[in-house]
Amino acid sequence: MSAAITGGWWGQRRNRSLALVACFLLPSLIVFFLYRVIPLGWNVILSFQAWSPLKPAVWIGLENYAEMWTYDDVFWVALKNTLIFIAASPFAIAAALGVALLVNSDLKGATVYRTIVFLSYPLMAVAVGIIWRWMYDERGGIINFALRSAGLISKPLGFLQDFDWALPSVIVAEVWQILGFYMIILLTGLQSIPQNLYEAARIDGAPAWARFFRITLPMLRPSLFLCVVVGILNSFSSFDLVYIMTNGGPGHATELLITHIYKSAFVQSKFDYAAALTVIQFGLLLVLTVAANKAAGGNAGAVERD
Amino acid sequence: MSRTSNSRLALRHATLVVIAILMLVPFYWVIKTAITNENIYAYPPSLLPREPHLYNFVDVWYLIPFPRYLLNSIIVSAMAVAGNVVFNAMAGYALTQRFPGRKAVLALFLSCMLIPFQATIIPAYLITAKLGLLNTYFGLAFPMLSTIVCIFVFKAAFEAVPKSLIDAARLDGLPEWRIIVRVLLPLSKPAIATNVILTFIWSWNNFLWPLLITRDPNMQTLPLGLARFLSYMEDTTGALYAFAVMVLAPSILVFLMAQKEFIRGLTSGATKG
Repeated sequence: MSAAITGGWWGQRRNRSLALVACFLLPSLIVFFLYRVIPLGWNVILSFQAWSPLKPAVWIGLENYAEMWTYDDVFWVALKNTLIFIAASPFAIAAALGVALLVNSDLKGATVYRTIVFLSYPLMAVAVGIIWRWMYDERGGIINFALRSAGLISKPLGFLQDFDWALPSVIVAEVWQILGFYMIILLTGLQSIPQNLYEAARIDGAPAWARFFRITLPMLRPSLFLCVVVGILNSFSSFDLVYIMTNGGPGHATELLITHIYKSAFVQSKFDYAAALTVIQFGLLLVLTVAANKAAGGNAGAVERD
Repeated sequence: MSRTSNSRLALRHATLVVIAILMLVPFYWVIKTAITNENIYAYPPSLLPREPHLYNFVDVWYLIPFPRYLLNSIIVSAMAVAGNVVFNAMAGYALTQRFPGRKAVLALFLSCMLIPFQATIIPAYLITAKLGLLNTYFGLAFPMLSTIVCIFVFKAAFEAVPKSLIDAARLDGLPEWRIIVRVLLPLSKPAIATNVILTFIWSWNNFLWPLLITRDPNMQTLPLGLARFLSYMEDTTGALYAFAVMVLAPSILVFLMAQKEFIRGLTSGATKG
């Protein structure tokens, strides 16, 4: 800075560093305000309005919600499917915990197993959807081939075209992709458990199952809570996979709230109604997260606010 | 460690090998299909590719505007990566300073992390339309220009730099921005790597946002191209699977090369912020 502006407001070191902090925060704050904070509020406002891109907004109170509650059968199907989707995540987390316990030791080659299990996580969901469609295919798919070869089914099964099988099939593909992420979170948790707890328990003669239930599980609570939150958020972020694999079909057998939101807004141009759906799903997400937090023992998932 | 008998060790390996095979089957099946010339719908499907070849990979370049999709994806990812490294480093540094309202900004960031992007799509689309950014590269990259998880990665890295080093630089009369460029950033290379990798993979894979705001085929990215290809070509060729393999290759390569940074980014974001 030149000598000409050493005096006055700018001259004080404290003010200068305040200005620097403000400038440095500004770009990120703009992004988060435009694409997180404002949309959240706008969604709520829009949900109480009748609005379409060419007409001015009219305040209609709870009409969108009333329509959802009484007339929209798809909403109830989508809500049920979303809850099933979320309810499947504890099983995936349990499986991931099993894998994490197996690879968390000085086992030779543990890193190779870990890499393989985690390899599906960073993949593009669109490609994952295409791969799994192909695996489930009636004619060339390996799953039908394996089941028929094993004599479990006599004629090919169109998993993704079947009303009963479509949702479980999509969930299996989803679990395949997310399993490694759960495993990594749980591994980090396992590695933060002090080893001397186990040694003390061993000296006291506690059997392996007791060590698992009395030390491992309680100490893992924050990691498990985090996995549950990821599982809940996943009901939003699985849009890509469902869109590619079934697009909600057959009928509405795999319709999730997020695909219903997308179709209402961007296919039928009912932005106002879709906003109300979004509010409901976001509320559901908050309620479930708070409930999971309670179940994990209050502040298990509390983040350190240094 | 405990004495583990050989048979139990073998059991563990056997279990893990089975899991690994199950996890790898989809990879094998798509690669096998991509390099197979035969009618891919023939039953029973052959488990090994007969007469493997790469025609399908060449086909992709002629069947769809693959180079255009690729270029668009690269441009948008490059913008997102550049934006994240610069803006996150700036915000991460700001959060290491004391200033009034710091608690509020931290609380804002932490609560923003709980808002999934999918829950904002309708207003996000309307805002982007108002700004006149539909069908533009900047519009595609804008929501991804800064990521909260990655800000915390930078913050942690900056906090780990010894205070004495910064004080020494200050005594030498270096202005604040030069301290950042000359002292903090060179000592935070792993944080930069984490930012680059996470942002690249997120923007490379992003599907929903481009689906909403690009109607012009010339502006579409690879995931959209893949989805379009699926709806046009599904029942005809193995080229679809060659396309899928080509799209997956970069993220797998990046992940395998920098697994450590990738995992550190995810877990530090997951546990700390």
